[in-house]
Amino acid sequence: MLLSKLPSGMRYYLGAEARLRRSVEDTAMSVFEGWSYEEVLTPSVDYYALFEQGMGVTEAQSSFRLTDSDGRMLSLRPDVTSSVARVAATLLAESKRPLRLCYAAPVFRQQQQSHAEWRRENTQLGCELIGVGGSATDLEVLLLAAEILQRIGLGESFCVTINDVGIFNGLVGELNLDDTSREHLRRLIDTRDNTELGNTLKQLSITASTRQSIASLTQLTGKRDVLERAQAVIANKDSLAAVSKLVDLWNVIESLGLEKAFEVDLADVSSLDYYTGLSFKVYVRGVGYRVGRGGRYDGLTANFGRAEPAIGFVLNLDSLVEVLGRTNASNGTNGNDVQTIATSELTNTFAEALGRRRKNEKIRIGSNE
Amino acid sequence: MITIAISKGRMQDDAIALLAEAGVRLSAAALASRKLALEDESGNYRFIFVKPADVPVYVEHGIADCGIVGRDVLLESAADVLLPLDLGIARCRLVVAAIDPKVITRAFGMLRVATKYSRIAGSHFGTRGIPVEIISLSGSVELAPALGLSDAIVDLVETGRTLQENGLKVVEIITESTGRLVVNRASYQLKSDEIGQLTDALERVIQGVNAK
Repeated sequence: MLLSKLPSGMRYYLGAEARLRRSVEDTAMSVFEGWSYEEVLTPSVDYYALFEQGMGVTEAQSSFRLTDSDGRMLSLRPDVTSSVARVAATLLAESKRPLRLCYAAPVFRQQQQSHAEWRRENTQLGCELIGVGGSATDLEVLLLAAEILQRIGLGESFCVTINDVGIFNGLVGELNLDDTSREHLRRLIDTRDNTELGNTLKQLSITASTRQSIASLTQLTGKRDVLERAQAVIANKDSLAAVSKLVDLWNVIESLGLEKAFEVDLADVSSLDYYTGLSFKVYVRGVGYRVGRGGRYDGLTANFGRAEPAIGFVLNLDSLVEVLGRTNASNGTNGNDVQTIATSELTNTFAEALGRRRKNEKIRIGSNE
Repeated sequence: MITIAISKGRMQDDAIALLAEAGVRLSAAALASRKLALEDESGNYRFIFVKPADVPVYVEHGIADCGIVGRDVLLESAADVLLPLDLGIARCRLVVAAIDPKVITRAFGMLRVATKYSRIAGSHFGTRGIPVEIISLSGSVELAPALGLSDAIVDLVETGRTLQENGLKVVEIITESTGRLVVNRASYQLKSDEIGQLTDALERVIQGVNAK
C-alpha cells in the first residue's frame, strides 16, 4: 500500500490557494448574511434514505455509503439541501416563515475518472429560502447568486441561465410517455442532440405543431427574443404559463440593468424530477462545466411531512477557486509585516511573543541558527 | 477565438473540407505543416488535432470549445458535451459480427465479444439480457474470432470489406455513426455568438449538400 498516494478525486489546498479559498468562502457567507440568511451546519454523515428522498435515487447513488452498527445504511452527505429540508420540516416546523438558511460545507460524490468534474469532495456554498413562494423569492436568490459571483471578482465572466421546468413538463406531459421514453427525450434535449431528437419525435404519433415545439427547445437559448419566439412556437397552456413567468422575471432583470449576467436557456432540462418551477445554472469563463445550480423545489419538504414552497442554489467553491486562482495569480502573500522573534532564552522569547500578540502583531518564532 | 478539436485519421480530411466550405480555412502552408495546433486564415479559430477518443475529453474540459468526432466515439466516451449538429461525414455502422451469425443465439452460457467499444458492447448485450465477456482490444479486432479469442466482435464498418476478408458476417447493426459537431456546455453559453456563427455556417453547408 502506497501511503503517499491520494485517493482519486481528492486534493490538498496549500498556501495562497488555501487563503484564496477561505476568502471566497468568507465573501459568499457575508453576502448571504447581508440578505439575512442564517448559517446552518448539518451532519457530514446521515442516513442514505434521507438523500434518496431528498435528491432522488439516481443522484443519491453517487454517494459514498457505509453501514451503521444497527445495519442501516449511512452515507457521507452528497448534498446539504436534503438535510436542510428535513430540519425545516421538523425542528424548525413552528418557526416563522420564510426561513432563510445558508451553508458552506463539503459534499462527497463518486465521480468517474478523467471527466471534467473529477472532484469527489466539493465544498458547496448554498442557501435555501423556505416557506414563501412567488416571483419575489425567485428574484431574491437569482440576484443573491449574481452578487456573490460579482463580489468574488468574476466581473462579467459569468452567466446565469434561467429556465422553468414547467415548459418541458407541459409539452411532454401531453404525450403520455412512459418514464424511459420521457427520460430519453429529456436527455436528447439536454445534450441538444437535434438529429436524434428529430428521429425520436418522428416515431411518436403527435401533431406537427407539438413536434415542432419540442424540437425548438434546443434552439431557444439567448435573451428576451428567445421568450418571444417560445410564445410564438408553443401552444401548450401549462408551458405558456411557465414561459410568461420567465417573461416577468426577465422584465425585472432588464429593468435592473442586469441582462448581461443572465440568459434564458429553455434546453436546460437537467434534474427535472427535483425542480418544480424556476431552475438555473451558473457558468464561468475558464470552467468547462456548470459551477452552480439552483431552482424551486416545492415538493422537497413534503418528503418530510410538511409541504411548502422552497427555492435555493449551490455554488461549487472548489471550481470558483480554481478559476480565480488562474486569473489573479497575486492573491496576497503571507509574509507582510511579520516580526521574527529569535529564540534565545525561552521565557524572554515567549514573553515578547505574547506581548506582540496582545497588540495583534503578526509574529514568527525564529530559531537560533 | 474558438478552439476546434478535430479527430485525426479517418475523419480529418472531410472535417477540414467541410469547415473550409463554411468559411473556416487553413492556409496551404498550415495544412502542409506537421503542427498539432494551427490557426485558420482569419485568426478567429484555432484547430487542434488529437486522437478521436480524446476529442470529447478536450471538449468536456472546455480546453476546446467544440470538436468534430464520430458518434461511435461519443457513445463510447459518455462525455458530458452538447451535440447540436450531425455533419453527415464519415458515415459508417457499428455492428456485431461473427463467423457464424447463429453464435449469438446459441451461446447461452457466455458470449465472448472482442471490441474497441467495450461500453457500447456491454450496454448493447446488457439490454438484451445476453451474458457477455467483453475483451477490450485496441485494434485489428477482426482477427479475434478467427484466432479463437472471441465468439463475436463489435466494431465499426464502412464498406464491410475487412469483415469479409476475415470471414466475418454482420449479425446485427447496433447503430449508425456519422461525424458530429460537439460543443462544450460552458462555451455554448459564454461564447454563444461565435459558436452560433460556426454552427449556422456549417448547417448551411450541410443543407446545401443534402439538397444536391
